[in-house]
Amino acid sequence: MGVIKKFSGNPCRNDGIGLSLKALTAAALILPGLFHPAAQAAEDDEVDFQYSHYQEGKRDILESETTRKNNANPIEVESIHGGAKISLTDRIKFAFNYTQDTWGGATPIDSGPFVAGANGAIKTIGIEEIDSIGAASPLISHRVFFDKNLTPYKQILKDGQFIHVPDKRIVHTLAIASPETRKQGDFKLGYEWDNAAIDIGGGISLEDDYESRFGNLNGRLDFNEKQTTVNLGLSYTNSDIDAILDHDIGSYGNESNFNQYIQVIDEETNTKKIIGNRQDWGANLGLTQVLNKSASLNAGMSYTRSTGMLENPYKRVEYFFIDPDQTPNSEGLLQGGSNAYIEQRPHERNQWNWNLGYSQYVQPLDAALHVNYQFFHDDWGINAHTFEGDWVQPLGAGWTVTPRIRYYSQEAADFYQPYFFSFNKRPSQRDEFDPALLQQNYSSDQRLSGFGTLSGGVTVAKQFAKGLSLEAGFEYYTHQGGLKIGGGGEQDFADFDYWTANAALKINLAALGRGASGSDGGNFHNHHTSHANAPAGVMVAHTLDKAGDIMLGYRYMWNNQDGNMLHQDSAVSLANLQNKGCFSGQGHFNTCLAAPKSMAMHMHMLDLMVAPTDWLTLMLMSQFVNMDMSLRGTPAFTGGGNLAHHIANGHETGGIGDTGMYGLFKLWDNPSHKVNLGLGFSAPTGDVDIQLRRAHHQDGGFVHYNMQLGSGTWDFKPSLTYTGKADKFSWGAQVSGTKRMESRNKSGFALGDMFQGTAWGGYDLTNWLSASVRGVYTWQGRTKGEYPRNKIDFVPTPETEACPNESFIIDDGNGNISFDQAGFNQCIVEIRNANKEGLKSAIYTDDAAYRSNPADLASNSGGQYVDLGLGLNVNIPDGAFAGNRLAFEWLQPVYTRQTGYQLDRDGALSFTWSYGF
Amino acid sequence: MSLSKIVLGICLCLNLLCVVACVPVQPWERGNLAKPQMALDPYPLQSALRAHNYGSREAAAGGNAAQGGGCGCY
Repeated sequence: MGVIKKFSGNPCRNDGIGLSLKALTAAALILPGLFHPAAQAAEDDEVDFQYSHYQEGKRDILESETTRKNNANPIEVESIHGGAKISLTDRIKFAFNYTQDTWGGATPIDSGPFVAGANGAIKTIGIEEIDSIGAASPLISHRVFFDKNLTPYKQILKDGQFIHVPDKRIVHTLAIASPETRKQGDFKLGYEWDNAAIDIGGGISLEDDYESRFGNLNGRLDFNEKQTTVNLGLSYTNSDIDAILDHDIGSYGNESNFNQYIQVIDEETNTKKIIGNRQDWGANLGLTQVLNKSASLNAGMSYTRSTGMLENPYKRVEYFFIDPDQTPNSEGLLQGGSNAYIEQRPHERNQWNWNLGYSQYVQPLDAALHVNYQFFHDDWGINAHTFEGDWVQPLGAGWTVTPRIRYYSQEAADFYQPYFFSFNKRPSQRDEFDPALLQQNYSSDQRLSGFGTLSGGVTVAKQFAKGLSLEAGFEYYTHQGGLKIGGGGEQDFADFDYWTANAALKINLAALGRGASGSDGGNFHNHHTSHANAPAGVMVAHTLDKAGDIMLGYRYMWNNQDGNMLHQDSAVSLANLQNKGCFSGQGHFNTCLAAPKSMAMHMHMLDLMVAPTDWLTLMLMSQFVNMDMSLRGTPAFTGGGNLAHHIANGHETGGIGDTGMYGLFKLWDNPSHKVNLGLGFSAPTGDVDIQLRRAHHQDGGFVHYNMQLGSGTWDFKPSLTYTGKADKFSWGAQVSGTKRMESRNKSGFALGDMFQGTAWGGYDLTNWLSASVRGVYTWQGRTKGEYPRNKIDFVPTPETEACPNESFIIDDGNGNISFDQAGFNQCIVEIRNANKEGLKSAIYTDDAAYRSNPADLASNSGGQYVDLGLGLNVNIPDGAFAGNRLAFEWLQPVYTRQTGYQLDRDGALSFTWSYGF
Repeated sequence: MSLSKIVLGICLCLNLLCVVACVPVQPWERGNLAKPQMALDPYPLQSALRAHNYGSREAAAGGNAAQGGGCGCY
């Protein structure tokens, strides 16, 4: 204990000494019986945040050989993670994590011979007819010629005659997914003895179509004076699959092999779901051994048993039926007709993993080398090898650079093929299913094919003083059939690559604690608490006290809309809404077929405040946003079509939002009264061009205006805040606004300006807890402009063609020729009206497809709102977590006046955590 | 199953190797081993992310069944 106290002073005073003391302290902690002092957070107590972006490269669908264009954006994933590890007591540890991914883009659903013409085009409503994969149909031709070796043949024109030549190429069929969000929360609770530890953990992962609940139990035993450590873990996962079958695919595929799992959830729209369950049991055993003063070894093995629905319900396989009784054509070729089935995998899988790792400290460079090999084997016929290595190189001044490389190779599953054959007559009905004609299991999922991958990347980390560290990482990954060990991997049609970039911020609570108890600590944290007790929902309310201060904050806001559709401040029935709610920007009423049912917005914000001088605080605020909307049909909606798909699925978006940069100036600053002026800008880092996927042979178009992730414009955000405090009372007021500095963003619209005025009063209930009441008035302007319209499919009839002059020449037969000016004028008026009507009707058609929901009309936005806020603020004055501040506030709508037709408001929750150091 | 026997054999060999190669290291001699760069996983946050990406793209994603991660259906 004495050792630790001695070294837990202030390591920041001298970096060199600090680091070596830290290493010694950490080494001493390996000594049995030495534990962290009770009043301080443990060495590994930590809060962390991480953002990551995954971007896949475009798949090669041989577009250069066809007229088709691959307009589809590849898969893209935006992820955030937040977590904390906390020592509840010396021996009890608690950790929790929250992770959220939003993904969307084009992904393969099956593969087939290139000559079968996968990725065929469909004409899209109102759009110029182009063969576009952005609007792909998964249809592939039903007939392909094969020779006796089953090589596909394509037809070409040679010397005026059609002949067939071999073409072995394969392509994927791509399907596009609208953005979808997965959320995961998990926890771990552990107890530590001197030479052992045990922890229990669990969590849940939620997606629209997949829900997993999991639990695990892990134990650790140290012996041989802690030179040997054995780990044992058990885990269980139970997952429900609840996948809506795609209308597009459903119309060409055969789902009857899954009949036992399919439920029709809406007879009217023939919306079907695959309902399934899978379970995974896992066990692992690991050993870590200190080899000498500079090296350690770890080895482990694990076993996982998976049962239930192990298919990916969205993946299809192409089956070619070759009738053995057919007569070959003049070139000796046989014809095969295809059917597409949902992939079929065994309902059981046993997996084994063995791994061996070695870590070597390299004294002259103060670096460490880690190498790892892993062998995987399962009873689906897959064997895989993974080789990994990294080199962790500290560079001094808190910097560390870590390059890494990884190679992976796997064999194909027994039941994988890019497409399949059945030497039987093709079933005459597309939905006819006879398992006797097919293999027992079949999949064309490229993840089960034979391939190798090579990836490499670098991580750069910087350890700042006061326990703050930043990490940034980049990785490039390439998947190639040709990289498989021993050759024989899949053809290059399945090759793809991706890159990921991530950034993480970690706060070591133990180091922060040391800062507090150090010689310059004293009343350190309390600097920031005065007047900082603004309710959680008030932004930029306070400044930092003095030059050099830093504050880190996390803010979460949840805003929910639910209930009636409103027109101004009164509820409107769906029957009324359908006739009046979809007033088009083109000046006519379109029938609303759908309306929002509920809409939730979640914002995660991370802000960093720095005071370069006593009178100025700079603030950088990054946001991660995700939204979901559920939809309902109006009485005019009769079911079916594209809309049925959207109503059944709802919509989700998510990703990085706009980035705020603020300068906060102290105008008045005394112990009782403070006034600050905020001048800020918001940079358009959030997407404003998110589109919905194609469904039911129709493009989705842009998502609703309020579901884009940012404003798309540079915005000016001024604010003026006054706060006061006397004894246990505190109060404040703020006016703030948003002025869009551009008239249109890249998607053709600009959100309305905003003004907000708010005032609050607070009371300290104890020295660590205070409560607040707040009133808020908000005026939000209407969105200007609109999404670009599709090319309207209408060509006006030329007036000269409709009303040719010669038609109006009157010859009375006596040589008197005159011109019927009145008739001609009448004709011109008529054709102009007809053209006008024709154009209007074409616009109506476009509107019917893309503006049949009030949320798709820019005119239905903005309004005036009054809210009442009730808040609680917690300031932790001392102990291990001194200086942490938590605040909650619920905003209850009191008055809502919506411009146009919009959904009623339900309330908003704000939560903030901040820490000054 | 012959495969698992081979691996078991490898593990036994490693243990034997350790009996020969492992040098007793006193607690006060573990300064290098305790350095952050020698942690078994120096960047656990990033490792979890990478494992999730590999898991949704490769068949050999076993061994971390109960870490969640959802379907990875894309």
